[in-house]
Amino acid sequence: MSERRDLEPQFDRILREHGAAISRLAFGYEAVASVREELVQDIALAIWQALAHFRGECSERTFVYRIAHNRGLSHVWKRRPPHQPLDEIEESDQPIDPRLHPEEQVAQADRRTRLTSAIQSLPVTHRQMIVLILEGLSHAQMAEVLGITENNVAVRLNRARNMLKGALGERP
Amino acid sequence: MTEDRELDAWREQWSSVAEPSADFQRDFQRKVQQRIKREDRRFVLGNILTVIGFIGILIFAWYMRRQSTWMGTGWSASICVLVFVSAGVRIWVLRRTWRPETQSTRAFVELWHKRVAARIRMLRISTYLSIGWLIFCAVLMGVNWSIIGQDVGAHPKEWVALLIVCVLMQPVLLWYGAGWLRRRKLAELDEVKQILDEMDGKSVQ
Repeated sequence: MSERRDLEPQFDRILREHGAAISRLAFGYEAVASVREELVQDIALAIWQALAHFRGECSERTFVYRIAHNRGLSHVWKRRPPHQPLDEIEESDQPIDPRLHPEEQVAQADRRTRLTSAIQSLPVTHRQMIVLILEGLSHAQMAEVLGITENNVAVRLNRARNMLKGALGERP
Repeated sequence: MTEDRELDAWREQWSSVAEPSADFQRDFQRKVQQRIKREDRRFVLGNILTVIGFIGILIFAWYMRRQSTWMGTGWSASICVLVFVSAGVRIWVLRRTWRPETQSTRAFVELWHKRVAARIRMLRISTYLSIGWLIFCAVLMGVNWSIIGQDVGAHPKEWVALLIVCVLMQPVLLWYGAGWLRRRKLAELDEVKQILDEMDGKSVQ
């Protein structure tokens, strides 16, 4: 019990440092805001449960991303078939930059929605590649999270990017 | 547009997808802490209920052995064997598939596949165990029919109720419950295989 209490500061720090990234990762796996919030909590809970067994074999970021993606994969399976109509998909909780002109704000929100929708339409393994590269991970870090070689990362990333361009209506 | 500019543009849009405010962070952390407490309570309660159930079944078996003048020994022994075999099979079948989430995605999906396959195997074994249990009860009753027959004549209503609950309900549970669960697990197995194929670059359109 005391060991768990010792982990609390580390867990709080992880949530502070990686909370935004976890929220973004959840966008890759869930379109409905209320369900996405639950998914983010699930991921945080999984991190807490695994934290006692974390021995630093990989970086903390890799540890967090692995758990987040694995939980996301399970979530996709549990939520299948998609049982929400499109009008339930809430995007209004996404932040809007108040410094921008209203038209630019709308355009920004539209681009963001198009990007997240396009990512959500990809096969789940491609989604992971795209989300990880958008989070700024190197090929080596991606290989570590996904458990594949760096060469394989390069090949699959290229394929995933082409699919994303196709989904965005751009020429691959 | 070069590849890097394109990626930078996507990253810029992506980075603004979720920028939680300080209030949101505090609220999020509070909700997570509440969830952890709830899960801890559920974990403890689950374990207590399992132990109570386990001990309860053993006490019931012991009570039957002492109370019954017929079949008591056989039934109580078979209940104990059934409980220990079920627990043993569960642990054996699901071995090496625990705590998969901290592993890489590839390892996680492979473990997931192993876990689902193990559950399907466990379901098959449970079906065989249940059928074996029914046959065992039937044989036990047949062997002791001279004594049971008198009891059936004396308490026909109780025996009809026992027949319905213990004998007729089991095939219903087996065929419909296990069948439904098996279909669900097979669908999950297909899904996991598909993810593995995607990872190997086989089935992505």
